[in-house]
Amino acid sequence: MVENSPLPLPERAIYDFVLFLSSQFGFKLYLVRPFIPESWLNSLGLTYWPQKYWTVALPVYPLITIVISCVLLFGINTMSTSSRNSIHTVTDNCAKNQLQKKYQEATPALKITLFVK
Amino acid sequence: MRCGRPSGGKPVMEDEQSFSDISGGRLALQRRYYSPSCREFCLSCPRLSLRSLTAVTCTVWLAAYGLFSLCENSMILSAAIFITLLGLLGYLHFVKIDQETLLIIDSLGIQMTSSYASGKESTTFIEMGKVKDIVINEAIYMQKVIYYLCILLKDPVEPHGISQVVPVFQSAKPRLDCLIEVYRSCQEILAQQKATSTNP
Repeated sequence: MVENSPLPLPERAIYDFVLFLSSQFGFKLYLVRPFIPESWLNSLGLTYWPQKYWTVALPVYPLITIVISCVLLFGINTMSTSSRNSIHTVTDNCAKNQLQKKYQEATPALKITLFVK
Repeated sequence: MRCGRPSGGKPVMEDEQSFSDISGGRLALQRRYYSPSCREFCLSCPRLSLRSLTAVTCTVWLAAYGLFSLCENSMILSAAIFITLLGLLGYLHFVKIDQETLLIIDSLGIQMTSSYASGKESTTFIEMGKVKDIVINEAIYMQKVIYYLCILLKDPVEPHGISQVVPVFQSAKPRLDCLIEVYRSCQEILAQQKATSTNP
C-alpha cells in the first residue's frame, strides 16, 4: 500500500519536466501565428486561420475575468460582513437550537476556556 | 427623556483618564460617580485637525483648478469654494462627534448622548426593563477586527433570547483598556439591579 504524501518522487519529477517542456513548446507554437508574416505561412500552405487580432484578444478575456473576480470577491465579502449593530455578531440559528436540545450526559461535551486578565 | 444632573448635596466624584482609540488618536474618559446606582462615562474624541482640513481643502481646490484649466469656465472655481464651505458645515453638523456620554441609572435605564462639533446633541434612552446585559463584543469593521461595548436587549417572546444589539461609543471607538474600565463599572450597577429585581 503506497501512502499518499506530497514528497518529491522520481515519477513526479518526470511528470513535471514533461509538462514544462510541453508548455514551453506549446507557447512557442502559439507565438508562430502573430510573428511569422502571412506570406510565409501561405507559401507553406497554411491559409485558413483566424485573424491575427485574436492571438492578442483571446488571452485578454480570461485575464480581465480574473482581475474583476478579485475585485468582485472583495466586494461580496465586504457586503456580507455583518455590521456592528447586527444580531448576527452575537448569535445565529445554531445557537438558538441549543435551548431545545436535551442533554443525555451530566456534563456538557464542550470545553470552556477562560482567559483571566 | 433627558436625565438632569443632581444639584447640591454630596459632591460628585470625578475621574479623568487618557486612552487611545483604534487609530491611535487620544481619547479622554471622564467618569462621574453620582451615587452607587448612578454613573456617567464621557468620552471626548480628538478635535478636527488643521492638517486634515487643509489637506482636504487643497485637494478639492486643486481638482477644481484642474477642471477649470480643461473647461475654461470660471464657475467651477466658485462652485468649489461653495462646496468646500457647505461640506465643512455639513461635516461638523452631521458627522463629526465631539463627545459621547453613557449615563447609567440603576432603576431607570441607560442614556447615550452624542454631541456633534456644531453643538447638536442626539440622545437615545433604553429603559432598564429592556436591558439584558452589557458586553464587550468583537466584530469585523472596515478590514479590522475591533472590540466594542454593546447593550443586549431582551427578547419579549423568548426569555433567554436577544432581540437587539446596541453598540455604544460608535464613533469614539476606544481600545480594549478603556472598554474594560467602562464594562466593570457598568457590571457593578447591573449586578445591583439584578439583585434588587430578584429580591423585591
